[in-house]
Amino acid sequence: MVKDDAYYASRRQFLQTLAATGAIAAADLAWWEDPFLGPRRARAAASTVRFQFSVPEPLRISLVESLVERFNKAQSDVEVKVEFVPQAQARQKLITAVSAGSPPDCCQIWDNWVGEFDGMNALEDLTARIKEWKHYKDTVPVAWQTVTVKGKLLSFPWVVTNDAIFIRTDRAKEYGLKIPGPDWTWDDFLTLAKGYTKPDKNQYGFGMRGAGTWAVLYATEFLYSNGAQVLKDGKVVINSPESVQAFEWYIDLIRKHKITPPSVATDGYRQIVEGFGRGVTSMYLHNSGSVEEQKKFVGEPNFATLPLPLGPAKKRASFYFSETLTMFKAAKNKEGAWKFMTWLMDDEPNYDYAKTLGLLPTRQALADRPHYKHPGYQGFVRSFPFSIVSPYLAYAGWGGKLDSEGVPLVQQAMLGKISPKECLDKLAEVLTKNMA
Amino acid sequence: MGNQNATSAVPAPRALLSHATRETLSNYVYLLPAAICLGGTVLFPILKAIHMSLYYNVLIKPQEYRFIGLGNYVRMVQDPTFWLTLRNSFTWVFWSVSLQFFFGFLVALILNGQFKGRAIFRTINLLPWIIPGVVVALIWEYIYQPNYGPLNDLLRRAGLMREPVAWLSNLNLVMPAVVFTNIWRGIPFFTIMILAGLQAIPEEIYEAATVDGAGVIQRFWSVTLPMLRPIIVVSTATRIIWTFNYADLIFVMTGGGPANATQITSTYTLMQAYSDLDWGYAASLSVILLVIMLTFTALYLKLTKGVESVAG
Repeated sequence: MVKDDAYYASRRQFLQTLAATGAIAAADLAWWEDPFLGPRRARAAASTVRFQFSVPEPLRISLVESLVERFNKAQSDVEVKVEFVPQAQARQKLITAVSAGSPPDCCQIWDNWVGEFDGMNALEDLTARIKEWKHYKDTVPVAWQTVTVKGKLLSFPWVVTNDAIFIRTDRAKEYGLKIPGPDWTWDDFLTLAKGYTKPDKNQYGFGMRGAGTWAVLYATEFLYSNGAQVLKDGKVVINSPESVQAFEWYIDLIRKHKITPPSVATDGYRQIVEGFGRGVTSMYLHNSGSVEEQKKFVGEPNFATLPLPLGPAKKRASFYFSETLTMFKAAKNKEGAWKFMTWLMDDEPNYDYAKTLGLLPTRQALADRPHYKHPGYQGFVRSFPFSIVSPYLAYAGWGGKLDSEGVPLVQQAMLGKISPKECLDKLAEVLTKNMA
Repeated sequence: MGNQNATSAVPAPRALLSHATRETLSNYVYLLPAAICLGGTVLFPILKAIHMSLYYNVLIKPQEYRFIGLGNYVRMVQDPTFWLTLRNSFTWVFWSVSLQFFFGFLVALILNGQFKGRAIFRTINLLPWIIPGVVVALIWEYIYQPNYGPLNDLLRRAGLMREPVAWLSNLNLVMPAVVFTNIWRGIPFFTIMILAGLQAIPEEIYEAATVDGAGVIQRFWSVTLPMLRPIIVVSTATRIIWTFNYADLIFVMTGGGPANATQITSTYTLMQAYSDLDWGYAASLSVILLVIMLTFTALYLKLTKGVESVAG
């Protein structure tokens, strides 16, 4: 009997404990994001904003963490929690989060993703709010173009960048080469690249990109110098005669003139930046994001930037890209997210972000600051008049296809497996098939 | 009384199920937790993949999500890149596994002997297997780097090279380069498996063979190899399946490039899922991978007479 009583008593205790645990857990669910009850209740007054950031390089992590900390300390209504996601997975993670109905409140995304997310009807239309925003008119119009889809403003263009050619000035002096002026031509480019190329010293004139989406984009910028276009009157015309002619010239840089490193077909962002930094190449095409890095690699006085050279058609284009701040339709705290995003776009936070990363602010007042008068930025500043939004942003379906089909095609042309014309014909096919 | 007792002796009610049935059922009940776990983690994902493969499911086009039957499979048959990746997969698997096996066997035979420093050599031999696949890929990507990688530097210092060779950018060299890396990584697997098998062969059999006049080669062919057959069959089958599905090394080293030269079906599946976000097509590719591997395993086990021991 004693044994039985003890048994029932312990079962009752067990059930009571279970019920109590359940009650605590249920009460806890409301604050699921935090691990402990006490501190959560103390902070319950501040609403939480989930902010996703997708380029977790050490410099960017510390920069974003310090900005978030400054924001959280500057006010008590909103508490921002930053989630770092590797860039390679960010797009897919965001898309699956949107599909599952649980995206972050706001996040940093590239402007070429905006169209995709709009296609999923996932982004909050910020047009009305942005037009009322105090710095709306101070932001350069082309920056707004990078985040406008079907007439709707869907993001803040946080920082912007375009492309220009980095050139080793010290090595030009060493080899007796003349650095051309900003209105240089393809011929000047080729002469300079040949002068820099010394294969026995493992030195090459131009660090061309062969891997990643930008392998297609950088090639396209050269095509634009010959009057080519990607889209004309709603039709894909990337395989037009002027485009083919320009691409043949571009591929000849590798196959005929041999002014690029032998690894060109697999050289991505890191390889072209490091190749220049380590002295393997003396020119490369990139955005302003590597200016600060090259100041450390090759030294501030040893390089300059020039706009892309003029092609036979006396034209040229530099593609604008912006890193944007956007808010999701399914955001749980839209007011908090708006408050945080507008704070990031304010003078000092915006300037600090752009300056630290070597990117260009989209607000004129910040772009006019002395930091951007440095020669390392001049190629980019001089490219503003002919900078355009990337033509590949026209269709959401083109984003992934450039990677999965466009890049292998360009690589095949680089390696001589197909002719430049075949490459552009096939690329045109891919683009036409995915105009949705 | 005796009569009364006789009438009151009611026969025990017959059990609903026989003893044997109950025993069988209780066996199944014991198996149930394991079956639920396996069903949830193995069977359900496979069924889900088959289900997904029948739909047009591109994540960025949720409004176009619809049942398309075998549409993804038809597209696959017409997709030249798929056939290229399949061919690359067979090249990748054949050279990787056959050479891993050959060198693994060789090292196992050496390690089975008695020599000074054997313990250290065994530990060193394990290193490539211990290092995570992604780290191996990064290390070798650096070694192959044409401009500042140690391999070219070494060859240049030795006077064997004038201009740098781009190991991972050259269409003829890239597959051998990634296969070499995979061989380097996979040798310890075969060494461990075969060494374990070698040490399990009773010494008396060798002694008997020697008494019968068998030489070294005869002993190897008539004793060692047959005794190792079950281990060889299991380890090669396992390794072939792993290698066929192994995407990390190629994904990190070349991303399947240049120009799809190292794109194998598993990396192509990854690209379809995470770059094009075409989960329907990616699912159909993974279903085909599953079918290929199931067919291969069945054929392989049949041809090699399974894993029965030599005595059996």
